[in-house]
Order: sequence, then C-alpha cells, then structure tokens
Amino acid sequence: MNRKLRLPVSAGGVAAALALWQLIATGPMAGGPLPTVADTFAELAGLLAGGAFWAALADTLVIALAGLAAAAAAGVVTGVLIGSFEPVRYATAAVLEFLKPIPPIVILPLVVLIFGPTTPMSWFLVFFGCVLPIIMQTVAGVHDADPVTLDTARSYGLGRVEILARVTLPSAMPFIGTAMRVAAPAALIITVVAGLLGGGPGLGRSIYQAQASGDYPVLYAYVVVLGVLGLAFQGASALAERRLLHWHASYREVLTP
Amino acid sequence: MNRRLINWTLGVGTPLLLVTAWWVLSENSTNTFFPPLSATLERFQALWLFDHFGSDVMLSLRNLVIGYALATVIGVGLGFATALVPVARWALDPLIHFLRGIPPVALVPIFISLIGFGLEMRLVSITLAAVFPTLIATVDGIRSVDSTLKDVSAVYRLSRGEKLAQVYLPAAGPQIASGMQVSLQVAFIVMIASEMLGSSQGIGAMTLLAQQSFMTSDMWAGILLLGVIGFGANLVFEVIKNKVLAWYVGSKRLARS
Repeated sequence: MNRKLRLPVSAGGVAAALALWQLIATGPMAGGPLPTVADTFAELAGLLAGGAFWAALADTLVIALAGLAAAAAAGVVTGVLIGSFEPVRYATAAVLEFLKPIPPIVILPLVVLIFGPTTPMSWFLVFFGCVLPIIMQTVAGVHDADPVTLDTARSYGLGRVEILARVTLPSAMPFIGTAMRVAAPAALIITVVAGLLGGGPGLGRSIYQAQASGDYPVLYAYVVVLGVLGLAFQGASALAERRLLHWHASYREVLTP
Repeated sequence: MNRRLINWTLGVGTPLLLVTAWWVLSENSTNTFFPPLSATLERFQALWLFDHFGSDVMLSLRNLVIGYALATVIGVGLGFATALVPVARWALDPLIHFLRGIPPVALVPIFISLIGFGLEMRLVSITLAAVFPTLIATVDGIRSVDSTLKDVSAVYRLSRGEKLAQVYLPAAGPQIASGMQVSLQVAFIVMIASEMLGSSQGIGAMTLLAQQSFMTSDMWAGILLLGVIGFGANLVFEVIKNKVLAWYVGSKRLARS
C-alpha cells in the first residue's frame, strides 16, 4: 500500500463517519433525539460565540488544573516521605493498594453531601482521584533509586537533603512523570463527572442541562468540545513529559543508523 | 529476620488499626455526614445481604460483566483488524483517537437520549466506553511487535492463523492486558455513572438516592459495597492476568535479576 494514500484515506474515514451520521439523522431517525451534523456544528458555532460556554470551559479548566496541581504537590511530598522510610512504606502499602482501584465516582455522593454542588466539591474529587496514583508512583520511584549511586553520594559526605535533591528525586522523576501524564486527562474526566453527576460548575453541568432539557444539538456540541479538549489534555501532558524529562536515561532517544 | 517480622506486622496491623480507629472514633458520632461504622455495617447487611442482592447488586454486576466482556471482544478484534490492515488503520485512526478523548461518562447522556433509561442503555454505555482502552492498547501492541519475529514467522511460512494466534497475540499480550485493565476500570465507572443518571435500579442509583434523601448510613453502605467491588474486580483481573501471562511475568523477573 502506498504511504501517500494515508492522508486521503484518513480524511475519507472521517468524511464517511460524518456522512453516516448525517444519513441516519435525516433518514431513519429524522426528528428524533439524534441531531444532524449541520445542526450540531451550527450549535457549536453558536456556543463558541456566546459567553456562557467560555465561562463553563474556564471553570472546568481551573478546577481540573488546580486539583491536579494540589494532587501533584501533596502526592510527591507524601510519596517521598513514605518512600524514604521503610517501616512507613510497609505500613501504608496495603491501605494504598486497597484504595487505588477505587475510582473517585464511588465517593461522589459523600463529597456532594458535604460540599454541595460547588467548586470545592469538584476540586476535592479531582484531588482525591489524582493524588493516590501520584503517591504510589513516587514511592515506587524513590524505592527504585540505584543503591550504588546512593552509597556513592553517602560516601562523598552528602547530607540527607542533598541526597534527596540530587539522587533520589531525579531518579524518581520518570515515575512521577508517568503518573502526571496519566493524571492530567483523568483530572479533566473527573471534573466532567463531578459536573455531570454532582452538579459542580463547568462543562459537565452544561451537558447535564442540555440532556435534561432535551436540547440535543447542544448536547452533541458539548460532547464534541469535550473530545477535542480530552485530546488536547492527552497531547499536552505527553508533550510536557517528554520535554521536561528529556535528560533522563529512559527518555533519551536512541539514534538508529 | 526480625526486621521482616516487624515489616509484616506493620503491613497487616495498620489497616486493622485504621478500621478499629474508624469504629471507635465514629461509635458515638452524631455528625450527620459520618455515622457510626457499626450503623453503616448494620445498614450494609440489611440492604445488600440479601434484600437488594438479587434486584440491584446482581443487576449491576451483570451489566458490568456482560458489558466488559463485549468490550474486550470488540476491542481486541477491532484492534487486530485495524493494526493489520493499513487501509483500515488509516481510515479509523483519527476517529478512534477523537472518540477516546471524550470522557467516557460524557457518552452516557447521549445514550440516554438515544435509547432511554433502560437496561440496554446501561449495557451499551459500558460496552462502548470500555472498548477504547483495549482497542488502542491492542493496536499499539501489535504495531510494536518485534520485526525480527515477523521476519522469522515469514521465513517459516506460518499461515495467517498461526501468525495471529502464536506470534502476534502472545507478543502483544502484555500490552493488551494493561489495556484491558484500564477498560475494566472504565466499565466500572460507567456502570456507576449510568445508574446514577436517572435510573432507579442498581447500586449506584441506590447510593445516590440514599444521599439525596439524607440516609447517610445507607449511602455509606453503598460506598462501602462499591469500593469492595472496585477492589475485588481489579484483584480478580490481576490474578487471572498473572496466570495467563505467567511466562511474561517470569521473564521480566529474570531480566531484572
């Protein structure tokens, strides 16, 4: 197969999907809950022109990023503390392993009960959902530091803090980087969930309102926006990881002849 | 040896200590948000063992299992097709990446608008949301199969079926498995979300309903049950994965030592 055909085929795939959507929306499901492509994108353009959309988008971004930043700070500090002391690591392992596979949506009812449908509610859910993986990856990274390098640093007479800053943290960085790359899209998803199910501000709430009032073109327009936003979060976090950690051995690119 | 015993005691002791602390500290609690643990467990027993077991717990679990199984089959099958047929990959790649950018829970309102609030909606939501992690991991896994392996299987003139089952599937196995693990989490989250959004049956619906009617002990019982299910599902997955991929786990351990 000719590689030059790739772009046309990709464009064809997207066009075919849109055509299929339009066909179903105007044919078998005309007038039903499935809006046409034209309606959806007209509505999307209308949203982009209005102020309410941008306010919701700003709410979503602020909550997601603030929750993520707090989770990163708390997670790395806690992870370093747990990882530096072996008894603490053993004491917390079972608890962390138990909590890790439990998604934040499970505690959503409790958090909504305490905070109400507010920004702190969404923010807390994002924090809760992101902090555990970051802690666990940091612990693993701290634990993974090369013992020979640690011994060398110690024999050069480096202090605890210096060893932490010059050996342990740099060697834990790839672990933390991976955790952050996974956590960033998760933060966006949790913000949307908090809005959709808990009534927190942002795009999640907008989707819920569109669905509840049966305003289907708006609903689809919001979902399209979320798809683009999700891609942007994934791309940005992957790019940031590579840019910030390019010096580390596991990220250096191998030159192939 | 002695140190090992201490660490082991810490590992087992801390969770027990935490649960005991929760029990003792909450025993005389009059705080509406944090009822006594004994009351929560009483409600847990009253609700889930076995009053609503058949009507709600089994219903949720059945949705989860069927939806997840469908998602896995579709994800792996479609993944193989997209990875091995260049035209299919070029045509579907942009679509797949756009759809996976959408937060899975945001798809639920769309399915509600298309199919209504019934059982089918919940199944379709779980299946479609959980397809993407497995699908993308399968495509990536097959595309990163060692080119030497491909050449060798070509030299040995393996048939198409043999190549798929004995070369590609094992080589991509570990990556497919980690995709399936993410899919399981997504399926679990969407299971809860699809019940919380306007359904009256299922664990998620009952937990949210308890929260909205301020029956805090019932809500805690629901959170407890969901947490146990989330943890249990992941545990079962890990056990099966380690059994199926025993050769991989072993080879990784060898490589590390």
